[in-house]
Amino acid sequence: MKLFNIKQTFIIGLFSILLPFYSMADEKTPQHGGTLVVHYSGEQRVLNPALRASTGVYEVSGKVVESLVDLDADSQVVPVLATSWTSSADGKTITFKLREGVKWHDGKPFTSQDVKYNALEFWKKRLNFSTALQLNLTSVDTPDDYTVVFNYSRPMPLDLLLRALVDLGYVVPKHLYEGTDVLNNPYNTAPVGTGPFKFIEYQRGQHIIVERNPDYWRKGYPYLDKIIWRIIDDNSSASAALESGQIDLSSYSKLSLADINRFKQNAKFEVLTKGSQANIFNNTLEFNFRNPIIANLNVRKAIVQSLDIPFFTDDFLYGFGKPATGIIPSSNAFYPKDSKIIYPFDREKAEQLLDEAGYQRKTDGIRFNLKLVHINNGEDVPLFATFIQQSLAEVGINVVIVNLDTAGALNAVYKAHDFDIATGWHQYRGDPAVSTTVWLRSGSPDGAPWTNQYGWKSETVDQLIDNAATEIDPVKRKALYVQLVDIVNRELPLWFATEREFISVVSTKVHNHHNTARWPSSSWFDVWIEH
Amino acid sequence: MAILKDYFRSPIARVGTILLLLIIFIALTADWFFPGNPLRLAGRPLQWPFVNPKFILGTDQAGRNIAAQLFHGAKVSLIIGLVSTLIAIIIGVVIGAISGFYSGWIDDILMRLTEAFQILPNFLLLLVGVAVFGSTINIVIIAIGVVSWPPVARLTRAEFLSLRNREFVQAGKTIGMSSTRLMFKEILPNALPPVIMYASVILSTAILMESALAFLNLSDPNISSWGNLVGNGRLVLRQQWYVSAIPGIAILLTVLSASLVGQGINDALNPRLKKR
Repeated sequence: MKLFNIKQTFIIGLFSILLPFYSMADEKTPQHGGTLVVHYSGEQRVLNPALRASTGVYEVSGKVVESLVDLDADSQVVPVLATSWTSSADGKTITFKLREGVKWHDGKPFTSQDVKYNALEFWKKRLNFSTALQLNLTSVDTPDDYTVVFNYSRPMPLDLLLRALVDLGYVVPKHLYEGTDVLNNPYNTAPVGTGPFKFIEYQRGQHIIVERNPDYWRKGYPYLDKIIWRIIDDNSSASAALESGQIDLSSYSKLSLADINRFKQNAKFEVLTKGSQANIFNNTLEFNFRNPIIANLNVRKAIVQSLDIPFFTDDFLYGFGKPATGIIPSSNAFYPKDSKIIYPFDREKAEQLLDEAGYQRKTDGIRFNLKLVHINNGEDVPLFATFIQQSLAEVGINVVIVNLDTAGALNAVYKAHDFDIATGWHQYRGDPAVSTTVWLRSGSPDGAPWTNQYGWKSETVDQLIDNAATEIDPVKRKALYVQLVDIVNRELPLWFATEREFISVVSTKVHNHHNTARWPSSSWFDVWIEH
Repeated sequence: MAILKDYFRSPIARVGTILLLLIIFIALTADWFFPGNPLRLAGRPLQWPFVNPKFILGTDQAGRNIAAQLFHGAKVSLIIGLVSTLIAIIIGVVIGAISGFYSGWIDDILMRLTEAFQILPNFLLLLVGVAVFGSTINIVIIAIGVVSWPPVARLTRAEFLSLRNREFVQAGKTIGMSSTRLMFKEILPNALPPVIMYASVILSTAILMESALAFLNLSDPNISSWGNLVGNGRLVLRQQWYVSAIPGIAILLTVLSASLVGQGINDALNPRLKKR
């Protein structure tokens, strides 16, 4: 008996030809309405992005509060609340034109007064990373309601300011903050902004809810009716919630790498690093120069050369990451072309360097002991600490890992300086001057986390950093950073082992996602969901 | 030796003893079977058990040999169990003995202190201790001992209260024995059996408490303990469940053996069961 007659065969054949075309046609018409449910963890109890610079804050408040500028898919700066900008020839005066007709969620108009207030009260005084950036900001003029003029005492590179304002240029309403105790203002956890979504409710440890803003200045947007962040701190539970359809999205690598790796095989989800390229992060190795053993360059070289980083990224990190070649990530405009790893993995060389430095193996095979503090940002940090311990044991260095909670570890490294080597994450934010050079510039006050607290000081490096931060010629600026990368790679005051991107897992029901360089932090005005 | 005979008459006790001896054997032979540091990078991470003959029980996500960690972990778990139990028993017996022997205001003060410790969950106190003093293995062991003594104190006190008016104690008092001698030479040996029985409970809880600490990544990461292995395995539980399951079974068997042995001792010492 024949299975199919000719007619049936023809129809089946037609379908099998047309079906792939049908599924390829992903340009579906956006649907209005619906609720997006998002994974959130590590509450900071602050939802004011003008007060706390952190992806954990932007993820939620970036939908409610807007910045002057944002990034597009190619990491170029695009207008949001600011529509255009110019810099004077000497780089000391920068003028922004603001968008007209924008209203705060409480109905009051958004004006240059709001920007001036934020610049002076938040960005210059209180916002982390921004206080260093805006150090030379002397005054802000407001010739009319839609023009703001920033006056600097030293030249401010326009490209640096714009790139920094993407994260450090959020504007909260002056009329709700002026004359109040800013740090304890209730709007810090119930934000009011100009964004596509209005804040509704924040239940600690439970959820955060925002709703569509019908008066949003981008007419016809947003598509979504509501966004709910469900707070799930245990990453295995979060993976289960994604699989069972209770949440649609988890970004900034909040799931365990093993689970993320598993989601790659699941057709109902997309696993992507695209859309998070504005926030590259590194596994760090920080040295305490107060210990004379560490202060010896040969010892630092030996430590670096004992670590087989390709093995670590391939076999410990499921291939999510690659060895770094310096303090600037390879995907960034400031990356020096043909950067190389100067001290590659070479165990014999490491042993030789340690012998030369005068630290012979004793009878028990151990040369010396080191205390390693790890600052727990993600699951891979203790794993990398273990990897360092294992690798250094091979060359005769006994590493004792000190297990502390995040606050305790930050205190031990950046305040008490009670460590020999430390490891954690460094986040690169598009321009070395935003949050990277503080790791090298001397003179940070004790206790400032993620800054140079290593007892290391180089006049040359301090000079380079200061000059680059005020150099308004982009080509010269880049040349200065190329020099900086080279010095750091050779002197090893600090070493970045890996270069990694944040990973998102998102349900295929969600559309228009990860279409900008910092999508998880962005306003999501064009995101829609099938429902 | 009659007690020993009574003890081995019970099948529960026999199973428990065999299990315990097996675990002691594993602990003692760890260095012989798996010389060197069990935490070293042995091979590619996350190899399944019974795939690579070099790693019969596979490797964890830091490329460490699970079998080596299991053997060395037995030593650590037993030391944690024994030392913290000893600490708990010493503190508990001294406080309980003084309290039960003297009564009056001394008893009041010591019992309020005991209750102060008892109303807080043990584990919470342990977390506070580790947070304040750090999490090296010595501190973890001491902290577990320090949070586990209150039940011992109450048990000892109860025994002392019932024993201190017996004739042999009265006789001792009459012939002018010192209080210390009465307490520790006369009453204590008679008060000890239930305390020894209870020690097996403390031993099991101590091992579990260390595992729970390690599960929360708060134990000493420089030591190959079963808890550390379970805690590390938690992140890959959905795919490589064996990383947590293998040490989990080891913990289960150790705790079970301690509790079976305790049950056996209890049965052997219980006069009512002896008559049967």
